[in-house]
Amino acid sequence: MLPHLDAAYTLARYLTRNTVDADDAVQEGVLRALRYQHTLRSDADARAWLLAIVRRQCYDLRGTWHARAEVVSYEDAPPLTLVDHGESADVAMQRKQVRAHVQSAIDTLSDHLRETLILREVQQCSYEEIAMITEVPLGTVMSRLSRARARVAERLRGIVDVGDLS
Amino acid sequence: MTDEQDLGTLIRDALPAHPAPRALQDWALAQARAQSASPESAAEGAILARPGRTTRNAGRWLYAAGLVAAAALGFSGQQLAGVRTRANRERTELVSQLVDTHVRSLLAEHLTDVLSTDQHTVKPWFAGKTPFAPTVVELSSLGFPLVGGRLDYVQGHEVATLVYGRRKHFINLFVWPSNATTGESNDAFAEAYHGFTLRHWASGGMQFWAVSDAAASEVEAFQHAYTTTP
Repeated sequence: MLPHLDAAYTLARYLTRNTVDADDAVQEGVLRALRYQHTLRSDADARAWLLAIVRRQCYDLRGTWHARAEVVSYEDAPPLTLVDHGESADVAMQRKQVRAHVQSAIDTLSDHLRETLILREVQQCSYEEIAMITEVPLGTVMSRLSRARARVAERLRGIVDVGDLS
Repeated sequence: MTDEQDLGTLIRDALPAHPAPRALQDWALAQARAQSASPESAAEGAILARPGRTTRNAGRWLYAAGLVAAAALGFSGQQLAGVRTRANRERTELVSQLVDTHVRSLLAEHLTDVLSTDQHTVKPWFAGKTPFAPTVVELSSLGFPLVGGRLDYVQGHEVATLVYGRRKHFINLFVWPSNATTGESNDAFAEAYHGFTLRHWASGGMQFWAVSDAAASEVEAFQHAYTTTP
């Protein structure tokens, strides 16, 4: 279970958007996981199981989120200047700006869409794992994922050419 | 940036992973450790301070694992098949002692004498306690976080023990200079003993034994990680 601590903390950071609540959620999750470890059938499920527990803790802490959340609004993202390939001296800066736009686009997603996207893209969870962690049917996972991607892509339209939307 | 880009790549690039802070890792390891304690201490609460937070009672899942291990040990003793040669017998005796020591370390809440995930804390700790210094390498990026170090006695000789974590298991790595105990070998080999996996190798005049109840493949991966990390 301990090797999944980083994954748990990453998820908690994105769900709570602050370090204090993320810490709380992971600690509470670890205690529960240790207490109920004997109910775990196979080691292969350990990561998804811990993530599911920590996610629930994050939502339990929801009441305290908004006061502390470090939300970057879409408008706060620095403006992006597109340049031609010929004058790509500022590639690093560009990359940073794109990253800020993607981050703010993801920030505007609803909790359900955001967590599904994070579990898939950051944690590389399978659809089945995401269904287990977020406690919804497989079909819901897929539709949330496609809606999340479509919304992020929509936000980025005109800023970045997003090719593959699938 | 005008090229078409894969959305997944953009998203992954924008959302870095957040590794758990050191304090949280230490706390979680201590929690797991506390749960390997005796039932008495679990009943008393085995209360550990959370980093900057309140305290909680610990559970006892590892205690159950310890009981299973102890039951397995009940079958140890001398009833081992295939003891034919003196060398075999000596090695079997050594293996049995190492497994005993491993299990005791989990049961007696004496997993470590020095609890630290920092190789620069663990290595100096051995200086002055043992006439030799085990190589302490950081393997957490490979899935084997350093838990700490311990002094053991095997066949009457001082042995430096490094403790690494592996999922919910621990790996005890026993290290001592060659020619200190009987049953030694310069060959590398693996042994299974009552559900425990042992891997032995020799290097630089030192004997290494990794002992764990983790899967054999994981102990092998640990040996590979330890011996190939500079």
